[in-house]
Amino acid sequence: MSITKKVMVALAITGSLVSASAFADTVKIGMNVPLTGFAAADGKSALLGAELAVEQANAEGGINGTEIELVHYDDQASPKQSVPIANKLIGQDEVMVGISGSYSGATRAASGIFQSEGVPYISAFAVHPDITKSGDYVFRTSFVGEVQGRAGAKLIGEMLGKKRVVVITLKNDFGQSLAAGFKAKAADFGINIVNEYEYSIKDRQFGPIVSKVKSDKPDAIYASGYFFTAGPLVSQLRAGGIDVPVIGQEGYDSEKFIEIAGPSSDGVLITTSLDRDSTVPEAKEFISAFEVKAGYKADMVAASGHTAAKVAIAAMRKAGTTDRQAIRDAIAATNMVASTGTISFNGLGEVKKDVQVQVVKDGAWHHYAVIDDQKLLTPPVE
Amino acid sequence: MLYVELLAQGLVQGSIYALVAVGLTLVYGLLRILHVAHAGLFTLGGYIGVLVTNATGSLLLALVVSMLVVGLLGMAIYRLCYQPILDKPPYVALIASIGLFIAMEEIYRIAFGPYGISYQNPPLQDVVYIFGITLRLGEVAVGVGTLVLIGALALFSTKTRFGTVWRATVTDPKMAESFGVDIIKVRYLNFFIGSALAAVAGVMVALLNNLVEPTMGSVPSYKALAIIVLGGLGDVRGTLIAALALGVIEAYGTIYLGNYLDRDAIAFAFLILVLMVRPQGLLGRA
Repeated sequence: MSITKKVMVALAITGSLVSASAFADTVKIGMNVPLTGFAAADGKSALLGAELAVEQANAEGGINGTEIELVHYDDQASPKQSVPIANKLIGQDEVMVGISGSYSGATRAASGIFQSEGVPYISAFAVHPDITKSGDYVFRTSFVGEVQGRAGAKLIGEMLGKKRVVVITLKNDFGQSLAAGFKAKAADFGINIVNEYEYSIKDRQFGPIVSKVKSDKPDAIYASGYFFTAGPLVSQLRAGGIDVPVIGQEGYDSEKFIEIAGPSSDGVLITTSLDRDSTVPEAKEFISAFEVKAGYKADMVAASGHTAAKVAIAAMRKAGTTDRQAIRDAIAATNMVASTGTISFNGLGEVKKDVQVQVVKDGAWHHYAVIDDQKLLTPPVE
Repeated sequence: MLYVELLAQGLVQGSIYALVAVGLTLVYGLLRILHVAHAGLFTLGGYIGVLVTNATGSLLLALVVSMLVVGLLGMAIYRLCYQPILDKPPYVALIASIGLFIAMEEIYRIAFGPYGISYQNPPLQDVVYIFGITLRLGEVAVGVGTLVLIGALALFSTKTRFGTVWRATVTDPKMAESFGVDIIKVRYLNFFIGSALAAVAGVMVALLNNLVEPTMGSVPSYKALAIIVLGGLGDVRGTLIAALALGVIEAYGTIYLGNYLDRDAIAFAFLILVLMVRPQGLLGRA
């Protein structure tokens, strides 16, 4: 071997070593999140929330000195996209942990892949019960729909003392699991469901339902939806002369809901995960830091993205290795305070935490009550 | 009273369908193109309506600006997108139109944000009582506005020379051309009027929902197609009747069938039923 050849071989070896170490320079968290299509607004908040958690962690030295990188792809809230994305995150990007900032359909499909590849996966705000049933590598930092539905029943039947209730249900897994939880516990709180209506996620005009609800003469309305359906629904209910309390859930939880419904939003109550008037330092700090980063006020989805990323980062720090099994065990043993409450998991990977009740007052979300009845809020275990 | 109120709600919804579908049926009549991107123009109408109203405080000005801008854009779509491919088979234009529609939705998302925009002080929100039923002023405005616009269109097309030429061209483009009609001019007019009506619908829907989203056109994009098929493709009168009928059927269906079928399913079940009995559309001749 001539001198030049030896030098070239040496260079090639060093080169490959350098690039290998450059490759291991960061530790990666993967995220599937809808950035185009109908769920793009929620996706944007979830991504910004997760990015904020990563930036904060990197400012504190990352994972024991190694920088964290958040790798994300747009899944359009579609299982058709989330499955190849899950494969790409695991196979190509070699992420340590996956986070879903997406809806149930996409999250459920991706969770099976993360499970079978042995990569921990945390659902930030998707509600379908089957997600965590994929296996022991899948966790959820938000309430499963049924749990929040039960909290809604307690809020209406016991805390507000309203007994004649009309249920308006968004016809997707989110609305239907909420309605299931609500109906399961309604009788326990003396609630009589006088009528139930369903609507599609594409509906924005509720004139016929409003007319019919008027003749039902309810004491309260339990309506599931997202801010873009609930905003028009609430303003149309009020315009139709219905002034009984409207109780929603975390899907309403956005400044945008108040902007769309305007003065009609006043007095609307929701069950959610983020307390705007919280005195907990983690929540206060998140609310102000998010507004600086995003340029708009924090919502439930943003806080959920932030919480999921924070749980992942804490577990990676605790495990101290790139062994995914050790990271999974660390996630399962989580006990930390985040913007959405004190997070720990049951055996199925479902979160255990209190439900926040927020009310719209003077054009902003405010604290109304906390539901901490752990028996009522017990997440499913199988 | 509930039945009357549902009827009124149905007619309001039907009026909006009518404003969107007329433009679509005009384009189909003239060019035999299913102009899916029409729903994208409807969305743009909503955006311009909200932006101009928020900036100036005048809904009327917003309506005029919206009709003008969207009308001109409709003409541009014809010139830049459809005219170069008119000699290709019809599905080529259809595919181009679908592509254009998706691109428009994403452009709105990038330009105006994914959250959608709302009126700062939504106009016409007061409630009025007519014949014992409650309606929002905005809903009354939709009904009256549609009546006035469609009435004006009917007068224009029957009482003016250009209107006669226009109708003749829509009915039989080849024959009209052989009589010396400037067919290009008629096409521009056609796109302008159809698009401007969609813009009005967009402003009205923005008013009723107080929300304009990038994907606002996704439902009209296919429902308007169902309506023009019901109306007997290219038939303006049939389209109007089909739009109003569908609005009313949906209003009753939402209440009495809503727990079994959603709004879209009701619409398409109605479409299938009518086509089984009258394959040529509601008013079409066999």
